[in-house]
Amino acid sequence: MGGYRPADATSVVEHEDVLYAATLPSGPILVLDGISGLIWEVACEDSDAPVVDRVAELTGADPGDIRSEVERFVGDLVDRGLLVPRAG
Amino acid sequence: MNESQVSVPLQVRLRFGHAAVQRVAASAGIDLLHIKGAAVDPELRPEGYLGSDVDVLVRPDHVDAIDAALREQGWELYSTFQHGSPFGHAQTYLHPAWGYVDIHRRFPGIRLRPDQAFELLWSGRHAFDIAGVACQVPSRPAQAVILVLNAARSAKGARADVITVWERADPDRRAEIDGLVERLHAEVAFAAAAGGLDRFRTDREYRLWKVVSEGGSRSAEWWARIRSAPTTWAGVRIALRAPLVNVDHLAHRLGRKPTPFDIAVEFVRRPLVAVFEGIRSAWRRVGPRRVVR
Repeated sequence: MGGYRPADATSVVEHEDVLYAATLPSGPILVLDGISGLIWEVACEDSDAPVVDRVAELTGADPGDIRSEVERFVGDLVDRGLLVPRAG
Repeated sequence: MNESQVSVPLQVRLRFGHAAVQRVAASAGIDLLHIKGAAVDPELRPEGYLGSDVDVLVRPDHVDAIDAALREQGWELYSTFQHGSPFGHAQTYLHPAWGYVDIHRRFPGIRLRPDQAFELLWSGRHAFDIAGVACQVPSRPAQAVILVLNAARSAKGARADVITVWERADPDRRAEIDGLVERLHAEVAFAAAAGGLDRFRTDREYRLWKVVSEGGSRSAEWWARIRSAPTTWAGVRIALRAPLVNVDHLAHRLGRKPTPFDIAVEFVRRPLVAVFEGIRSAWRRVGPRRVVR
């Protein structure tokens, strides 16, 4: 998994260190607190390195231990239409 | 990650609400201006109070279009222009994710024709980012005028806005605001909040804005509203509306659709309340004086 970006219909609000993401104009609002907010930010960085590796580096976790959870989470965001793979 | 409705702060929900309404308007070719709340320039409201709902002023010709577009996108009509407020200026919708949005077809206190007033405000608009969406907002002086006019209906509640945007404004900004108030024909309502309402004692709207800004009984407000009507026929229509039951409000109070019996009971209750208010008001004027300590 490389880089992603918020879909055109996605809106993001940061409030008191918590990210909130929503598809406009239908909703719902997703609360991205703690590690989920970190994964969102990492996934949206313009980088060729896999999201799992970058999350592992930031959290000190072993990539193998978190791979399935991170990939499932990012896949869910894509399925919901909140994230799309970055072109190129 | 979760989708809990209760864990989303109101400030967040309101920002999304503005952005969602802007997206709906843009996709349907509807002109609207975001007013109050999260759309207020931080220069005018440094403490960042966002209010409790989303407010937009819609080009009057586009009101039917925004009504249809909002309903199509999941908003439900909560209260109507007819019953939403005594001014009949706004209609409220409720969305499960974004909460309430008030669609204004005009703004109380502005006496310029609604289409002309909208065009005047629209001509000075600029984009203001809310939740990553470019929302159209009036110019800063126009926002100041709207906040002061809004304060005039708040019975001292929005005094902070008057202090910030008017009393502390520099002479240049005051001149801009004054000029806009004049062009919008909003002098009486503006004075009700900013001071100097007595200069308009002979104006037909004087009593209305006095009772609205200083507080008073519902019957006093209706009487003032009848007297402020621009024509005799308009006054008659208001007078005929006064005793009617506000079915929207009754439904929300009961938490269900009122039955014909509910409406009949309310129809009798309201005049009794008005009579009680009249007796209490008269007693205050002629009865024994209370000692205020």
